[in-house]
Amino acid sequence: MRLPESQVAVLNAASATDERTIAQLAEATDQKPETVTGAVFDLRDEGLVSVTETTAESVELTDEGVQYAEEDLPEVRLYRAALDVGDGDAVPMGQVIGASSLGGPQVDIALSNFARKGYGTIDSGELAPDADADPDADEEAAALAALAAGESVDADVLDQLESRQLVVRHERTIRAVTLTDEGVTALMEGVEAAETVDRLTPELLTSGEWEDVEFTEYNVEADAPEARGGKKHILRQTADRVKDVLTGMGFAEMEGPHADADFWINDCLFMPQDHPARTHWDRFALDVPPMEDIPEDLIDRVRDAHLNGVGEDGDGYHSPWSEDFARAIALRGHTTSLSMRYLSGHEVGELEPPQRYFSVEKVYRNDTLDPTHLLEFYQIEGWVMAEDLSVRDLMGTFEEFYSHFGITDIQFKPHYNPYTEPSFELFGRHPETGELIEIGNSGMFREEVLRPLGVECDVMAWGLALERLLMLMYGFDDIRDVHGTLCDLDLLRETEVLK
Amino acid sequence: MPVVDVQPDELRRLTGHEDKSDEEFKDDLFALGLEFEGVTDDGAFQLEFGPDRLDRLSVEGVARSLRYQYGDARGVSVPNTNDPDWTFVVDDDVPEERPYVTGAVVRGVDLDDAALDSLIQLQEKLHATMGRKRAKGAIGIHDLTMLKGDVLSENASGNSITYTGIEPDGDTFVALDSNDELTPAEVLEQHDTGRKYADLVSEYDRYPAIYDEIGLFSFPPVINGRRTEVSTDSRDLLVELTGTDQWTIDRMCNIICYALAARGATIEDVEVQYGGGTVVKPDFEVETKHVSHDRIETVLGVELEMDEVIDLFERSGLDADAELGEETVYEVSIPPYRVDVLHPLDLVDDVGRAYGFNELEPRYPDVGTVGQRHERSRLEDAVRTSLVGLGFEDLLNFHMISEEENYERMDVEVGSEYLGGGEPASITEPYSEDYTMLRTWVLPSLTMVLENNTHRAYPQDLAEIGHVAHRDDGENTRVAEARHVAAVLARHDATYEDAKARLAALCRDYDAELETPATEHPSFIDGRTAAVVIDGEEVGVVGELHPKVIVDHDLELPVAAFEFDLSALA
Repeated sequence: MRLPESQVAVLNAASATDERTIAQLAEATDQKPETVTGAVFDLRDEGLVSVTETTAESVELTDEGVQYAEEDLPEVRLYRAALDVGDGDAVPMGQVIGASSLGGPQVDIALSNFARKGYGTIDSGELAPDADADPDADEEAAALAALAAGESVDADVLDQLESRQLVVRHERTIRAVTLTDEGVTALMEGVEAAETVDRLTPELLTSGEWEDVEFTEYNVEADAPEARGGKKHILRQTADRVKDVLTGMGFAEMEGPHADADFWINDCLFMPQDHPARTHWDRFALDVPPMEDIPEDLIDRVRDAHLNGVGEDGDGYHSPWSEDFARAIALRGHTTSLSMRYLSGHEVGELEPPQRYFSVEKVYRNDTLDPTHLLEFYQIEGWVMAEDLSVRDLMGTFEEFYSHFGITDIQFKPHYNPYTEPSFELFGRHPETGELIEIGNSGMFREEVLRPLGVECDVMAWGLALERLLMLMYGFDDIRDVHGTLCDLDLLRETEVLK
Repeated sequence: MPVVDVQPDELRRLTGHEDKSDEEFKDDLFALGLEFEGVTDDGAFQLEFGPDRLDRLSVEGVARSLRYQYGDARGVSVPNTNDPDWTFVVDDDVPEERPYVTGAVVRGVDLDDAALDSLIQLQEKLHATMGRKRAKGAIGIHDLTMLKGDVLSENASGNSITYTGIEPDGDTFVALDSNDELTPAEVLEQHDTGRKYADLVSEYDRYPAIYDEIGLFSFPPVINGRRTEVSTDSRDLLVELTGTDQWTIDRMCNIICYALAARGATIEDVEVQYGGGTVVKPDFEVETKHVSHDRIETVLGVELEMDEVIDLFERSGLDADAELGEETVYEVSIPPYRVDVLHPLDLVDDVGRAYGFNELEPRYPDVGTVGQRHERSRLEDAVRTSLVGLGFEDLLNFHMISEEENYERMDVEVGSEYLGGGEPASITEPYSEDYTMLRTWVLPSLTMVLENNTHRAYPQDLAEIGHVAHRDDGENTRVAEARHVAAVLARHDATYEDAKARLAALCRDYDAELETPATEHPSFIDGRTAAVVIDGEEVGVVGELHPKVIVDHDLELPVAAFEFDLSALA
C-alpha cells in the first residue's frame, strides 16, 4: 500500500491498544499538528484508524487577572486602606482612595466589589469597613492564586471571575487515535510512502506516474497576483442594455450624420428659426459651406408649415424663415434629426405604419460643462408610428421601457415642446433613493412636423440622456470621471459590470 | 424656461381665495404645469414653466389660470374697451426694419409697489420671450398725464403721438436713469441700457423714435424718456409696442392689457394710422378653430360625453359650440391673450390638461413591429467585444477636440496625407479652446487618457471604437464621418510586435486579410511603422509611438498603437 508520507508516519506512530492524541502523534512523527490532523482524517476515511473526540476546557487568566493574582484584588486593597485610615470607623471615601493608591478604572472596580462582597458599607460618601470581614479568606483571590498555580477551581467562582473579565475560558476538541484492525493489517502487509510533487508536468501525465504521486498542498486562501481583463466601457454597457430592451420591444435602430443641416436638425421639427435654442449660444455651427442637396419639395412644405401652419385652421409662426439658415450645417443638438430623416422617407424609403425606431447616439449642446452636463452626450431617442395613437399608448410604452431599469411609478407632467403636442416631462421613482426624478421628455409629434414629411398617421416620440440613466443606475456624481479624456482608469476598471 | 416671481399674497387677493395656504397653492400651480423652484428674498414664489403660456408671465395671468382651475371663471372673457381718444401716427420716415406699432391707453390704474413690480416684471419677461430680447417686439409704458397730444388737423378733437425714424444724431432727450440730454447715438454710447441694446439698431440708417407735441419721449426698442416714467402715482398709462411683426406685438400688448384689466383698469382703444390705412388697437378679436370630438377621444384614448368636453373647454378658459353633423365638431373660441394655439391639436391638449393626463390609464400599444440593430452598430459591437477579449479596456472619449491635441501634439500637420491629417471640421463659436473641432482620428484621445492616468497601474492597454470626421466639401454635409478602431499598449516592454499581434488576431476574427507594408507616419518611429492594409486596401497605421509624442504626453514608457477604419472589417 502506498500512502502519502505524513499518513505513513502517523500510521506507524499510532497504536491499536492505546489512544494517542494529535499532539502526541505530532511530537512522535515530528510533524505539524495541522498536518497530522489532515493525515488522521484521511486515514479515518480509508478505515485505517478510528478517532474519538472529547471536549476539554482550559482556563486562562487575563492580564488583569494575572495582576490581581500577584498584588491583591482592588476591593481588598480598599478594605485594608479603610481599616488603616479610620481604625475601624467610617471614613470619607476620597481619603480612603488616596490611601489605597488605587487609580483609574480600578477605583470603580474596588467600590462595586467592596459592598458586594461584604467588606463594608458605602453611605453618603463615607466608607464603613466591616471589622469582621476577612480578606485572607477571599474566595476570588484564592481562586486566582490557584489558577495562576495551574490548579483547577470551583465552577461558581470561575463564573464570577469570568464576569469580572479576569479569566477567559477556551473549549477545544481533543482527538484521540487508535489503529483499526484494517490499519493493523495494512501495517503488517507493509506501507510505503508515496512521492510528493509540486507541479503537474506533461511528463507525469504521459508516463502515467501521476497515479503514484501526491501533490503538495497549497495555501489556497492566500491572495493571488492581480489579474485584469479588459471590459466594455460602462456607458457602452448601459447603451447596450438600452438597445437590447428597445429591440426587444420591436424598435429598429436608426443611423445618420452627426454634422447635419439645420433643416434636418430644427426646421423639420417645427422649431421657429428665431427660437432661443437656435441662436449661436446653444448651437455648434460648423465653419463649412451650406448643404446643397435637400429635396426642394420638402423644403417648400416645411417652409409653408412654418409660415402658414398646417391644415385649414392652422397658423404659422410669426417668425421669419430663411432657407440659407435651414441649409447651414451644425453638429446635431438632438438625434431627432435622424427621426426626421427616417420619417421623411429619406433614409430607408417611405414608411408605412406601424413602425418603431430608436437610436442611442451622440448629440452636441453648447451648454455649460459641469459634473452633470457635457458638451456632447448620448441621447436615447425613440418613436412609434401608427394609426390613431393616444396619450395612453405613449404612457404604456414608457412604463414598459423604464420598468426594465427598475424605474417605476412614472408620472406625466404636461409640458411644452415646439415639436410635440401633447408633450410630457417624465418623472419616475429612483430605484434606490425613492425620490421623484426627471427621466425624459416626450410627446406626440405635431401635425406641423409630420404632414410636411408626408406622414399622415400619428407618431409619438421621446428622448432621454443616456448619461442620466447611467448616473441614476450607478450613482456617479461627476460624469466627467467616466466619459472623456479626463476619465479615471481605476474607476473604469473597478466599476461593477452591468448585469 | 421662463421663471416668474409671484407674491403668494397677491395670488390670494387676485384669485379671491384669501384662505389658501402656500402649500395648497404650490400643489395647484404644479397641476397647471408651473413648477415651484424656490422663494425670493422678499418671499415671492419662483415659478418655472414651459414657454407656451406666456399669458402666465405675471401674477395676474397666473391668478387667472388658477381661477379657471378652481372653477371660479369659465369660458372666454374679453375686457370692454372705450372708444379711442389717442392716435398713433406712423410716419413715412419710420425705419423700414421696424415698421410696426401697436398699443393702448389704460385708465384708472391703481399701482401700489407690488402692482408696479409685477408690471415691470411682465414687461421684462415678455421682452425676453416673445420679444426675442426686444428684437422682435419692445414695450414702452408711459404716464399718460405727462404726454401732450398734438392735435391732428383731420381730427381736431383727438390727441396723437408719432412713431417715426430720426438721424442718430438728431433730437436729444433725457433717458430713464439719466440726467443728460442725449441724442439716440449718444444714448447707445453712454447709457448702460443703451450699450446693452445698441446692436439692435446700430445697423439702421434712421433710429426708431416716438414724439408727442413736446418732443422726443421714447427711443424704442432701447429706452424710454424720463419725462413719462411710470410711478405708483400714475393713474392713466399709454402703452406702445414697436417691432418687426404686427401679430407678435399685438399679442404682447394683449397680455399687458389683460394683466392691467385684472387690477380694475379700463382699457381704451387707440387708432394706429399707417400709410395704407387706420386700424384700431388693441386687437381683442376672438379667434376660432375647429376640432372633432373623435380626434379628442383618439388622442386621449378615452370616450367622453359632449357636455363633458364642452365643460373641459370652458374650464380651460375657452368656449366651445358643438356642431352636430356626420361627426361632432366643436367650434372653439380662443381668447386674445393666448399665443400658443397654432393648431386644433393645441386645444385637445387643453382638454387633456383640464381632464388630468395623470387620470389616464396607461396601455401598451397593440402594434406589432420587428426590432433590430443597425448593421453598423452590430459590427461596432462585435469588434468591441473582440477588443475586450484581447484584453483592452474599452474607452469612450469626446468627439470634439482642439487642433493642438489633434495635430500638433501628435506632430501631424493639418492637411497632410497621413492618418489624422485631414482638414478640420471646425466649430464657428467654440465653447472653449479645448473643443474647437471634431477629431480626425482617435489616437490623440487615447494618448490624452494615458497622459491623465500616469498614476494608475500599468500595463495600460486601451482601445476605442469611435467617431471621427474631417472636412470634405464633396460630401452633402461637407463633413466626411467615419468610425475608427484604435488601440494603445502602454507597458514597459511594449513593441511593434505587441500591436501587430493583436491587430492580426482581430483581423482573423473577421476573416480579413492583413498586410503591413512599411510606411512613415510622424507620430510613429521610422522603421517601426506599417500601413494597415486590409483586404488589399490601406485603411490605417500600426507602429511604436515616437518618443517625442510619448515625452510630450508626460509618459515614461513605450507605447505601441494602431488605428484603422472600422468599415474594413465589415
